[in-house]
Amino acid sequence: MGQVGARASLIDGAVKVSGRLHFTSDGPMPGLAHGALLLSPHAHARIVSLDAGAALAQPGVIGVWWHENTPQNGYNSAIWVEDQQLLADERMFPPVLRHVGDRVAVVLAETAAQARAAALLLDVRYQQLPPILSHAAALAHLGPTTDAGGAPSFRNPVQTAELDHGDVEAGLAAAAHVSRIRVRTPRSHHCAIETHACRAWPEADGRIAILSPCQSVFAVQAVVAQALGIGAERLHVIKAPIGGSFGGKAEPILDPVCAFLALQTGRAVQMELSRHETFIATRTRSAIDGQMTIALAADGRILARDVDVTVDIGAYCTGGGYLPGSMLQRMVRLYAVPAERYRGRAIYTNTLPSGAFRGYGSPQIHALGEIALDLAARDADFDPVALRLRNVVGPGAIDPWQHLDLGNARGGDCLRRGAAAFGWEARRAAPAGQGRFRRGVGVAAATHINGCFPGEDEATTATLGLMPDGRVSLICALHDLGCGSDTTIAQIAAEVLGLQLPDIAVTTADTDTCHYDLGTRASRMTYIVGEAVRQTAEALATDLRGAAALALNAAPDTVILADGRAVAEDHAIALADLARWLTGRGTALPQATRTHRATANPGSYAAHFAEVEVDTLTGRVQVTDYLAVHDVGRAINPMLVEGQIHGGIQIGIGYALYEDVAIDPRTGKVGGDSFARYTIANAPEMPSIRVLLVEEGEPTGPFGAKALGEIATIPVAPAVVNAVNHALAARLTDLPLSPERVVQALVDRARAPGAPGAP
Amino acid sequence: MLSHCRPEDLDALHRLMSAGGPVLPVAGGTDLLVAGRELPRQAVLVDLSAMPELQGIDTQARDIRIGAATTSAALEASAGLAARFPALVQAASECGSVQIRNRATIAGNIANAAAAADLIPPLLLAGARVEGLLPGGTSHALPLEDYRTGTGLVITAVTLPAGGFEPLSAYVKLGPRRDLTIARLNLAATARLERGWLAGLRIIAGAIGPRPIPLARAAAALEGQALTPDNLRGFLDALSAEVDAAIPGRASQAWKRQAIRGLGIDLLARLLGLSNRDPIFEGVC
Repeated sequence: MGQVGARASLIDGAVKVSGRLHFTSDGPMPGLAHGALLLSPHAHARIVSLDAGAALAQPGVIGVWWHENTPQNGYNSAIWVEDQQLLADERMFPPVLRHVGDRVAVVLAETAAQARAAALLLDVRYQQLPPILSHAAALAHLGPTTDAGGAPSFRNPVQTAELDHGDVEAGLAAAAHVSRIRVRTPRSHHCAIETHACRAWPEADGRIAILSPCQSVFAVQAVVAQALGIGAERLHVIKAPIGGSFGGKAEPILDPVCAFLALQTGRAVQMELSRHETFIATRTRSAIDGQMTIALAADGRILARDVDVTVDIGAYCTGGGYLPGSMLQRMVRLYAVPAERYRGRAIYTNTLPSGAFRGYGSPQIHALGEIALDLAARDADFDPVALRLRNVVGPGAIDPWQHLDLGNARGGDCLRRGAAAFGWEARRAAPAGQGRFRRGVGVAAATHINGCFPGEDEATTATLGLMPDGRVSLICALHDLGCGSDTTIAQIAAEVLGLQLPDIAVTTADTDTCHYDLGTRASRMTYIVGEAVRQTAEALATDLRGAAALALNAAPDTVILADGRAVAEDHAIALADLARWLTGRGTALPQATRTHRATANPGSYAAHFAEVEVDTLTGRVQVTDYLAVHDVGRAINPMLVEGQIHGGIQIGIGYALYEDVAIDPRTGKVGGDSFARYTIANAPEMPSIRVLLVEEGEPTGPFGAKALGEIATIPVAPAVVNAVNHALAARLTDLPLSPERVVQALVDRARAPGAPGAP
Repeated sequence: MLSHCRPEDLDALHRLMSAGGPVLPVAGGTDLLVAGRELPRQAVLVDLSAMPELQGIDTQARDIRIGAATTSAALEASAGLAARFPALVQAASECGSVQIRNRATIAGNIANAAAAADLIPPLLLAGARVEGLLPGGTSHALPLEDYRTGTGLVITAVTLPAGGFEPLSAYVKLGPRRDLTIARLNLAATARLERGWLAGLRIIAGAIGPRPIPLARAAAALEGQALTPDNLRGFLDALSAEVDAAIPGRASQAWKRQAIRGLGIDLLARLLGLSNRDPIFEGVC
């Protein structure tokens, strides 16, 4: 009790800040061998020959593996369950390299330094092939994605998603205003502080154990089994503490190679990417080129939208094929639009693959939708908040694509409360200024999902049991990515059981001890896993009350659980004493297992308000004030909610203003390949932040809670971009709004015919 | 083999240099020891941080003298330097992060000779001279302007000769972010005030070419002129023209020729102790 709504510290916070937590590559392990990769210098090339002689002659080198001596099973690193039908176009070491940073070979040696030094001695001859580095070239490379024999053809489109809802032409014809806006978003990189790492070793029973900082141990198991062509039961996967993921570690990248080396050599093997390798050889958020036509009635209702999105998913399918559909799913859950046409397509290019990154398509599609809506509002002379309020969905709305009930959708409350708290009307009406520095304010709304329903078997199984010392163990495939989900989940269990946080012994995901789980993805931890744990805790509470009723000689319905005790009117028993009493009688300690299977996928909502100042000479933008309003249903831990939002704003400001993986359109080389070249928002770039929570309760969530993790970053970039466009009366729609782009827009405008001072 | 030694006075360094073997000087280590940077297989890593002669800032004498191993943090904290040549203090305060400034040294910034180095524009502006030991142990001194990397010179001190700079000086930079950033453009200036006008104005720009360059035309545009909107506009136009001349056709030209106008105002504001939002800059942009 008193746990839900408490600003509890992270249960693993102290071990982290004191340096006592061992991350994947930290812990000592006798006999550990180290693998180092050789990565492709070319965007598209065939390996003509590889001479490993010089590398093998180096001291400490155990072996070298490349496409000729490794399994060539096709696999897809984004599958999360065995036998999942997803284009299996990846190889551990492909004979034809498809992007700069693709894996050429691996060297295994006694030390990491030996392995890295030897990898540089591999003598590889490449035959360069013409790379596809533009959307135009990709869209010309058409055809089925597999050939007659089922082999990947790398032709486009990889996958499409379409919606035809209502009469779009009629909406356009009836409109008082029609705006057509093109928005392009960059690839962005996760920048987790821990680079990718993995350990694998043979277990005594002949299986291979994999220690992985991952988002789903079962996904790792499925992917590695597919890549190695072995049964999943031969793999034992343990989730390691993780130094940040943001989706970057959702897909196992090193794990198949690491497990293969352990299997081949019988050695314990560690692989760890350098920062540079993490930049060029893992995953990115996909870039999109989107167009949106918005038809507005004279009263501000959106009559129709016509949307076309091309998603560059890079060299391999991974989960990128799902992106056009994911974007559509999120796009149609924000506004009530009577007529909507959507054409989305994912395309291959010879660039590093895309993958999950905090929102899985939502940041891109909201950048398109919310920047476009703001410019449409300007064209039609509507206030941006008022226009959104007129169209935002309300509680109980049904989406037009999956026909799901959006639950207690409180986007309208976010906009109304936010506008009042921000002082929107007065600040929006204030002049931008005429001098060097211009000020502007912007707003963006957003929605995001709560789990994978109805697309998957969206279920979680949890087990809670009384331990002899009176604590309660929680066994569930938990994958805390550093966001505090273990803490939130433990709070839910403690609330129901009348315990304190230290009384809940949380275990981490392990394929040997946990039921199957989709893992941390799709903003499902609090809403799905939290509800599973709540239901399990209720079941255990019933059993504990029953057992205590016997011990206390009381009626079960008079027993309550509070402060670590079972209390019946005037007498009580501590849970530790209850455990002893039960053990003394030869009775098993109470334990409950429940499976919660989702039947809904309500929307989480948010409205963000940003103030910016733009230096019109240097093009620099500073976000000077920020308000984030979130419909979270109920905050289980308001402090962690605020922390998630602060981090989301930091990522979003980077997305709006700085971050770009910046692949060279001629060579395919990665420009943003280090923290020196990939600029993120640092502390001085951060504004003061206020957070307001709308807590109206979602009936299907635990204690009314809804998801927050991903949506925290989704409205940020459009809010900032809209503020810049307000400050400059500009129409900047290519992200990031780099100083060059801001200056260029102002120079172009000054030169435009009829502009004051135009030549 | 790579070996290491830590001379505790200048004589010890002299003896080491006289021996004539390959020497790799390391002071703060913020460039040399960055992970992934390749070290030669054969050299003596000479730690310059223990020699008292290489430490300290003397601003009492006519010439300012700065020990080679003086850190950016020490430059930043020097009241004497702030009084006589604030441009160097400002540049030092914008090098890297606090942690880097605590280690990185003035000679390291010179010896690495990065095009975007923070300390070099103000040092060139002041006519700084570099002193050191050549391989073999010979003492050698030369103007910073003539310094080139690759001679094997181990820098022991930097001097700013009196008369090389004016009472006013300032440094400004523009990077991809506000702090912990590598300059995409930086400017240093020195001048004196005569009847409210700038006189003896000199400006040096970094990061628009392999080496910092003097901006003579821009300086001439304001020399002895009242800071009227027309004259300021002329100054900004001259700055843009300097960029056009320095990097014609470069991808960054379009942005830098505009951005230098903003940075030019920041420079003047700092030189004059004004805000860059001061009314005198209104209507200039």
